[in-house]
Amino acid sequence: MNNDELVRMEHINKYFGRVQALNDVTLTVRRNEIVGLLGDNGAGKSTLIKILSGALQADSGDIFIKGQKVNLADTVDAIKLGIETIYQDSALVTQLSIARNLFLGREPIKGPRFLNRMDQEAMNEAASGLLRQVGITKDIPPTTPISALSGGERQAVAIARAMHFDSDLIILDEPTNNLGVEETHGVLRFVRNARDSGHSCIFIAHNIYHVFQVVDRIVVLRRGKKVADDIDPKQTTIENVEKIITGLVEA
Amino acid sequence: MPSTSLPKAIEASPATRSSPSVVQRLVSRPEFGPLVLLIVEILVFSFLSSRHSVSEAFLTSFPSFLSTSNLSNLLDFTPELGMIALGMTLLMTAGEFDLSVGSVFGFAPVLMWTFANTGATSLEVGFLLAMAVAVIIGFVNGVMVTKLKIPSFLVTLGMLLVVRGSALYITDGFPQRTWSASGPLKDILVGDIFIGDLRFRTSLLWFIAFVAILSYVLTQSRLGNWILAAGGNPDSARARGVRVARTKITLFVLSAVMAAYAGVTSSIRVSAANPNSGTGYELEVIAMVVIGGTALTGGRGTIIGTLLGVLILRMMRNGIVIVGVPGLAYNIFIGAIILGMMALHSWLERRHHAGT
Repeated sequence: MNNDELVRMEHINKYFGRVQALNDVTLTVRRNEIVGLLGDNGAGKSTLIKILSGALQADSGDIFIKGQKVNLADTVDAIKLGIETIYQDSALVTQLSIARNLFLGREPIKGPRFLNRMDQEAMNEAASGLLRQVGITKDIPPTTPISALSGGERQAVAIARAMHFDSDLIILDEPTNNLGVEETHGVLRFVRNARDSGHSCIFIAHNIYHVFQVVDRIVVLRRGKKVADDIDPKQTTIENVEKIITGLVEA
Repeated sequence: MPSTSLPKAIEASPATRSSPSVVQRLVSRPEFGPLVLLIVEILVFSFLSSRHSVSEAFLTSFPSFLSTSNLSNLLDFTPELGMIALGMTLLMTAGEFDLSVGSVFGFAPVLMWTFANTGATSLEVGFLLAMAVAVIIGFVNGVMVTKLKIPSFLVTLGMLLVVRGSALYITDGFPQRTWSASGPLKDILVGDIFIGDLRFRTSLLWFIAFVAILSYVLTQSRLGNWILAAGGNPDSARARGVRVARTKITLFVLSAVMAAYAGVTSSIRVSAANPNSGTGYELEVIAMVVIGGTALTGGRGTIIGTLLGVLILRMMRNGIVIVGVPGLAYNIFIGAIILGMMALHSWLERRHHAGT
């Protein structure tokens, strides 16, 4: 175990009734690394990252973050330990403004405590800066409700939130689903930006082309088992990885 | 503002959003519709009632709808339903509602007067006991909805029957004696205040104070953000560390306490504690809240809108009688207003988000 390692999931097993969703899966993510997690439908990708994000609990196995063994009882635990998960629907409250979403659950307070007053100026200011940071150069006021944003802009807000609160690991579950071509490029660029600013990512996508464009390393799951761990996208072809995913070729 | 050093990430999105003018911002506020409706209503009733009683209007140069005696009457009952509506607004913004408020409105004063009349406690202590029981009622509602995951419709419907039944049982169905209604509690809750000819009650001041406090809570405080998020997307709010269940339980307690407070106020004002009073208030209050612009589905709410909604429906009831429409036709107008306002809100909503 080296210092470079951010997250290590060891010998994870998970059953749903009599179905074994994960079979002795071990996954590591290093610092400043984008890991692509691939697999067919039902391969166990979602189950694995739900365990890492605290939404599900493993039946057996250990999780280490920065070398410390942790217990992730719910998503709040995971967020506290620096693991942010961005789901397909990006888990924003569409009725609330960008700034209110960014700080939801961690709103800065100003004035006496009992007045419980949110520091809305500070929130709006920080939100404007963050939006520029993730590459939204258009002049969108931070008070705009999420419902008025496009799918790509919503993903950008979710990624901005993860970056702002110093998450070490950002898990993106199908972040490019339902996005247009330009927006997809935007999201892929955010992912590279996130790595460049010191975050690690786990990137899950059905579209192998998207994965190939951004990740440093590809991990493949098949029927709950890890079948490949160290595929370098620069050293292989998409066809090869597809064969590993479907089981035509052993890695 | 666009800095060239940063990647231009998103281009395929709708045209630039220029900052809207003051008029556009005003129109897009959820309170705008109800505000217009309230103004129209006041104008129509003033005009019709001045025609209706020409002589009085001539003598006083005031239409009877706006006469001081009528305003005094109007302001008597408005704070009572209004208090319930304020609690309901926050609860509905958090995505829940409370059908038991009408029965709590009837039950709390019955309890208070039973304590006082049997000599078990003083009126003041009875008041505090009644409020404590309201806290318990709200707490049970909240826990059953959030922990047992039963829809609030069913929980509070059950609670409505339990509370109303309790009120009838402990009184044998008879109204409680209230003629000893005087002393500090009365002065504090519903004492008379005169400004010239216009008489109003301290209950109006309490109502205004609660409008200010709860409006602050909803728009400025951290709790307000949690209330909106709990109604808008409870799962993602929970994932962000918002204590959704605790927030909702607090609001159920607030709703019950407001209803109990309103009931006690009402019983002291009219000197009657009837176990059946408050029947049907839950629906009238929900109507006030949605007319004001709060979403039945949660995630969007406005205290100022509710204030307007309360005034709209109270003035409607009062004005209809004054201009000579049969009082039994009241519900036709209320129903039409609800349908019209819902149509307006949904139209504004679609227009607001056109093209996205």
